[in-house]
Amino acid sequence: MNELKTSLCVENKKLNTLVIQEPFTLQEKLHILGAAAKYDVACTSSGVDRRNDGTGMGNAYAAGICHSFSADGRCISLLKILFTNECIYDCKYCANRSSNDVVRTSFTPDEVCTLVMEFYRRNYIEGLFLSSGILKSPDFTMELIYITLHKLRHILNFQGYIHVKTIPGTNGELINRIGFLADRMSVNLELPTAESLKKLAPNKSRKKILEPMRLVQQNRIANKHELALNNRAPAFVPAGQSTQMIIGATPETDYQIMSVAETLYNKFDLKRVFYSAFIPVNEDLALPAVKQGGPPLLREHRLYQADWLLRFYHFQTKELLDEKNPNFNVFLDPKCNWALKHLEYFPVEVNKADYKTLLRVPGIGVRSAQRIVAARRLGILDFQDLKKMGVVLKRALYFLTCKGKMMYATKIEEDYILRNLLQIKESLPDSVTGMAYQQLSLFDVQSNGDKKVS
Amino acid sequence: MRSIYVCHDTIQGIFSALYDAWVYNRHADVGIEFVGKVERQLFCQYIDVVENEKKVLAVERLIQKNLGENTYHDIYYALLADDAKKAEAVFQTMQAARALRNSRKIMEHLSNDSVTKVFELSRRVGNEAHLFQGFVRFRELQGGVLFSEIAPKSQVLTCIADYFYNRYPMENWMIHDKTHGMSLVHPKQKPWFLLTHDQADLQQMGSLIQVEDDYEDLWKTFFQSISIQERENYCCQRTHLPLRYRKEMVEFHERKVDRKNIGS
Repeated sequence: MNELKTSLCVENKKLNTLVIQEPFTLQEKLHILGAAAKYDVACTSSGVDRRNDGTGMGNAYAAGICHSFSADGRCISLLKILFTNECIYDCKYCANRSSNDVVRTSFTPDEVCTLVMEFYRRNYIEGLFLSSGILKSPDFTMELIYITLHKLRHILNFQGYIHVKTIPGTNGELINRIGFLADRMSVNLELPTAESLKKLAPNKSRKKILEPMRLVQQNRIANKHELALNNRAPAFVPAGQSTQMIIGATPETDYQIMSVAETLYNKFDLKRVFYSAFIPVNEDLALPAVKQGGPPLLREHRLYQADWLLRFYHFQTKELLDEKNPNFNVFLDPKCNWALKHLEYFPVEVNKADYKTLLRVPGIGVRSAQRIVAARRLGILDFQDLKKMGVVLKRALYFLTCKGKMMYATKIEEDYILRNLLQIKESLPDSVTGMAYQQLSLFDVQSNGDKKVS
Repeated sequence: MRSIYVCHDTIQGIFSALYDAWVYNRHADVGIEFVGKVERQLFCQYIDVVENEKKVLAVERLIQKNLGENTYHDIYYALLADDAKKAEAVFQTMQAARALRNSRKIMEHLSNDSVTKVFELSRRVGNEAHLFQGFVRFRELQGGVLFSEIAPKSQVLTCIADYFYNRYPMENWMIHDKTHGMSLVHPKQKPWFLLTHDQADLQQMGSLIQVEDDYEDLWKTFFQSISIQERENYCCQRTHLPLRYRKEMVEFHERKVDRKNIGS
């Protein structure tokens, strides 16, 4: 077979004196289009439980499953590839913008199907994440993606997870068809404000991005009603929508970013908003200069922490940040920061406080709060018991009492607690470390806008 | 005199020991130890447990009926862990449950030490099983059979069986646990079953592994191209995917060879 191929190539060369490019092998295509997709953050396979019906391959698991971890420590759950990197758009931050001179190639629908089925069979992946550059037009590209998904779902009987990126400007009817084949759809918001988008992604507009998002949301609501009447009806985007914002390429504050995220959660019913620290791949006057110390990973981490507070801890953006303090404190996580400014609520009594109050205590998470509420029905809790339930006492001890007593004699004063909290070094995840160590001085704290203590 | 029941470190063995202890020593402090790991103590009476299916079913029924399905799940998982005191903790949990008005809530009684121990063990096994749902790697044998080897600390095979059964109903597959010498076998469109004591002739299996699998190569290519260089962080990678899992994972095989070359 290979011999045949090479002989054909040789023939080709003889016939046309001008051979621009030999066709890429599947290996080369996977290398190019895998690398091109790596800046997309979302690789989660979560949000939908689906059992195999016994005739095909694959299932889906709501918690999501990580299959491997790449050298940057990020989870590999889905086969994350671009369908093509032949793109007509010229977004300033993107490695595949039309003005860049990079190797361009495209998969065929059959190639994508083979890769997915064979990888899935060997349990390498949880499913497919298909994004794409824009070949000819949004509709043309999405039609190719539709063909791919249709073959996977209806011919190869693939029942695993599929995440598709919607290209802004795609025809609504086409989105509708794809939605019945995919588990999750997402449109990248790219940048937090419309002005930044205009500046860095001239071919995209806020309106065009929000349009498909709204459409998918409305179709999901309609589909929910249909499923309520007939639970065998096909599900439309059962795992919901997500989106992604680039952090640090434009001058938005954390407050602006979190407000946008909150709006997306409340008004567009999004499942996740992802934040991606800006990594300069192009040199462009419109982009910030390359900073020393790499991408703003700590800022990204703080945004994710706040994101969790919004989704699971019943916080609102305006409680965490405001116009006067528009950025998160680099030295403290958002929850500790909030607690320090609201010491009037503390300390709370573990055996009495309601669930939502417990959630607001630094060092208590969702699981440990649930365990506390369940366990205190069967006995009075002490600090030792809290430790077993997973409460981080070194942080929580300033904000809690058990049976009316605090763990140690501590003052309930902002700068006293702050000093102690800073001494127990926050265990930042490994993904953030690598940041240069900085000494905190009193002056910094004040200029950060924190309340002064007389 | 304290009674210590000696049984095999299997579900059948431990359930039989729990049966004996429950029937004869329900109110006493008893020990349950495993064959081959017994450390003899003074002033103790050692009893060899007769293991059989009848005792297993009785204990299973007892726990499910009185402590509930969820507690049974926790106890079953805890008993698969790699821990010498697991059976005693389960026995003490069952004793503690009798003191509660509603015994089904026993797993919420985390201020009890034995309950905490069972809870922690169950969580440990559950977490490891969850990791293996992702980390199992199949290789294709001649004839299209999918074969995988794992080296878990706990006996996770029965925890992941239903998951893979549901995932690949149309494939013949097999997962071999090297640590405990057990294998999980699934013939196409039939229910799965567990082989203990290594009845499977693995030597023969080994010879069937195709040397060249194009998809392993493609997977390695993808694995390398998906990483972002600017964010490279091996420490973070090790946290999520500890080294002990990597021996059986194909995407790490190449690097292992490289290291050998550097060493020599």
